[in-house]
Amino acid sequence: MTVISPAPARTLDPRKPGHQHPSFDTGVRSLVVTAVLQLTAAIVHIVFEDPAGGMLAAYEPGSHLIVQAGPVRNTYSLVDDGVNPNRYAISVLRRNGTAESAGSGGSAWLHENVRVGQRVEIEGPRSLFAPVTTERKALLVAGGIGVTPILSHARAAARWGRPAEVIYSYRPGSGAHLADLRALAATGAITLFEVHNRTDAAALLAERLATQPMGTHAYACGPPELVDSYLLLGEAAGWPPDRLHSERFEVPPQDPGLPFTAIIASTGARLAVPAGVSLLQTLLENGHDVANLCRQGVCGECRIPVRSGQIEHRDHVLSEREKADNTTMLCCVSRGAEIEVDL
Amino acid sequence: MTITDPNTSVAQPFSHTINLPWPFPDDLTAFRYSVNVEPARVMRTTAGGSWGTHIVDLTNADYPQVMAERRRILDADPGRTQILDGMMPACWDILVYYLRDLALSYPLSCHLAENGDRFHWRNDLLGTDQVFVLGDLTTLPYDPLSFLGREIPDDLLLVKERDGQLFFDAGLVTFAAAWSVSFDVGMNFREIHGPVPRFTGEGLTSRAEQFLMHLPTDSVYRRVNWTLSASGSRKLDVSLEELPEWGGDMPRLVRDRDFGNVQLRIELEHFMRLPMSGAITFCIRTFMASFAEIKAIPVWRDQLAQVLTELPEDLASYKGFIGHRTEAVAWLLA
Repeated sequence: MTVISPAPARTLDPRKPGHQHPSFDTGVRSLVVTAVLQLTAAIVHIVFEDPAGGMLAAYEPGSHLIVQAGPVRNTYSLVDDGVNPNRYAISVLRRNGTAESAGSGGSAWLHENVRVGQRVEIEGPRSLFAPVTTERKALLVAGGIGVTPILSHARAAARWGRPAEVIYSYRPGSGAHLADLRALAATGAITLFEVHNRTDAAALLAERLATQPMGTHAYACGPPELVDSYLLLGEAAGWPPDRLHSERFEVPPQDPGLPFTAIIASTGARLAVPAGVSLLQTLLENGHDVANLCRQGVCGECRIPVRSGQIEHRDHVLSEREKADNTTMLCCVSRGAEIEVDL
Repeated sequence: MTITDPNTSVAQPFSHTINLPWPFPDDLTAFRYSVNVEPARVMRTTAGGSWGTHIVDLTNADYPQVMAERRRILDADPGRTQILDGMMPACWDILVYYLRDLALSYPLSCHLAENGDRFHWRNDLLGTDQVFVLGDLTTLPYDPLSFLGREIPDDLLLVKERDGQLFFDAGLVTFAAAWSVSFDVGMNFREIHGPVPRFTGEGLTSRAEQFLMHLPTDSVYRRVNWTLSASGSRKLDVSLEELPEWGGDMPRLVRDRDFGNVQLRIELEHFMRLPMSGAITFCIRTFMASFAEIKAIPVWRDQLAQVLTELPEDLASYKGFIGHRTEAVAWLLA
């Protein structure tokens, strides 16, 4: 028998059943900015890398990154193919909107503050705009800064040898990533159509939507008028709705819910449940041993009796009647206000 | 026969029960199907030993023999690997995931060196030494799913969400319990679980499907399932493809009253969302222990006898032992 020394013991947190390898981490973490590039007058390109030089979590084409942009958390589409990445790259449009318009504050902050060498907190990537694996071909439609997830799709299609065609609508002089798309087209990996105003875009869309082979899926990202026009023209050309995919610029991060108070019936203790923290976690931290398994509202294990209060049910287990009864809840996902739990 | 645990270097006698993921909670007396998922990579101690520290268990001495059997089946029947169009990125995804995980779980036996998309994998337990480039099929002797399936004993299943439901779009399965990967591939979740009594009807299919569709990228979950094997031998491959090979086994066992060789068959399933493809794994490791081995552990013997006796007829019939359960339980308790 060969005597070999044991592997170092790792402590596992049973409440965080995560991955062993750091390259699968998608939680909140700090990356370093390694490049800042002005693509157009209003669009800046930012590259993040692991400060330790490690590989980052891979992602599906069309995924987005949550970025702590100064005071706000914004989401930005990633522009690479997502295969075994050592960097995350985003392109950010500076908006001239008012401070209230969603995202404008964060994007302006990135334009003004991000420098090479700086640490930025990110989370994700998250996937909400992925290609359908059974597609025979992809028709990719980009308008303005909507080119970012479309470029990601086009790069992945090129990488895996899937046929793809790109329609890119941009104002002359404002076409971010134009050189990247033209370079892909030059290799023969994709076909590229460029267009510069709404009328031409509509005409080109109508033509291309009418000539795709059976089994094509279409994906559009851009300003509302372009996406609406694409959906209408697609429908008019006889496309089934589930083959016309679209994403409008920015998607909100997952809803963390509002803070609320839970009351323990047996002791009268009042527990504060912060936003983004589950009632289950709060109960566990306060010594209430609530059985739980999936923590996603599907297994039903953490169902607890409730005496009073307003419940916002967010689970997939309780029937509509059970939810309306207001006597029980799945404390891993559901929230509410002034909830008196029968513990 | 002894084995050196590749992780701890502790020599332990070979045993079918020492790492058996006993499928019943301590207080369980009556079994019904449920969405009994829990976080993975959490060690559980049982009356017979312990299990569950790692996603893949290579600690038992029969690992090389099981892999020899797996490779023999794949060579004889390449149809056990099914990859539908568009699923090759997911096959690379699962390969990279498992190799990285194995190298961290068994650092003394499994090694992975990475340089960008170039990987160098070594598995000392099987003598594998392979350099490959992610995405380049010409750098591997098999497709990435088959390559992984020849390194670890788990059956590898990949499901993908489309139009609000899950489809079984790729798999490598050599140890199916009376089903066939080439028949089931391409089916949706409902179609696959249609034959299971009280599953779809009681909403379990949709809850299980909801669970998998909402699986976050940062977590790994597992589930234990069980039956009594359709063969009274150590044969892991009781797939429909091999029905002529095992179809006569149980009638023969019953005729010979050989109930000590009835096999409790336990399937340990692992679920995770692979980041690059968004595919979800439904990997299945099969463990077996004979009634003779279970009888030697009184806590297990009593609980199994109780669960088998109580099990309603439709479930016992689906699990394939309605005809001999009374006699098998009697043998256990004798």
